[in-house]
Amino acid sequence: MANVLIVDDSSTMRKIISRSLRQAGLAVDDIFEAGDGIEGLSVLGEKSVDLILSDINMPNMDGLEFIKQVRANGNNVPIVMITTEGGEDIIKEALESGASSSIKKPFTPDQLNEKLGGLL
Amino acid sequence: MTLNAMVEEATHLREDDMALHVINATKEVFSTMIMMDLEACFPLSESVNTFHCSISGMVGMAGIYTGILAIHCPQSFALKITSNMLGMDVTEVDEDVTDALGEIANMLGGYVKMVLSKGGMDINLSIPTVISGEEYTINAMSDTDCVAVPFSFEEHNFVVSLKLRKE
Repeated sequence: MANVLIVDDSSTMRKIISRSLRQAGLAVDDIFEAGDGIEGLSVLGEKSVDLILSDINMPNMDGLEFIKQVRANGNNVPIVMITTEGGEDIIKEALESGASSSIKKPFTPDQLNEKLGGLL
Repeated sequence: MTLNAMVEEATHLREDDMALHVINATKEVFSTMIMMDLEACFPLSESVNTFHCSISGMVGMAGIYTGILAIHCPQSFALKITSNMLGMDVTEVDEDVTDALGEIANMLGGYVKMVLSKGGMDINLSIPTVISGEEYTINAMSDTDCVAVPFSFEEHNFVVSLKLRKE
């Protein structure tokens, strides 16, 4: 069973992702939430996390900077971007910064399950 | 009320084409995340700026194009939208409702951004803004550089508008 961190400034989206993870029957134990990259880093400092799902467009610290900070801290946990920011260049930068893959919003539970199945 | 001529020239999209993108984006977001299959109507000929017992979610675009993508809906429908998104009954306009409308605007803005900028680096989306109230007026840029599409679901009606300029 894996612990998952969801980083998104929308509480609605965090709840949808959390519910989708549970409904998809993925091997998820604890789900932690953060409203931006700064909160995400704080959670990582306190909890054991096996997978991060992160938005890109967030206040205070966006998803791209968050990935860079996580990797700069020597943490190699898989990071999947879940974002409306589906532009080729942005996704390329996210992958080059250390993201494992990306999922575009809006998404169905099946799409989430398909993308995360191999990681959980 | 038409799409800005410089936008048409730069994107090679006519007003009808841009309206179709707004329709496709809205239908996709609602069918995927909200479990509602919408009916789209013909784009409005005049801008709607004043709203009653409504809630508006907006996201700004800045870069090679500037603009605002907004969804305006009655509060009663916003409750239904939020209830569907969260899978629980929501009976009053609270943080969940404003957050849901902001996130919908964000997803619609992301879709339009992809239409305008394939790479995605030359347009930035703002953090969503949400307004609600008994009566309010929104004034932004020119009323003429706008595409506004009405949608319906069962007895509910709402509008998605896109104001856009080429920089």
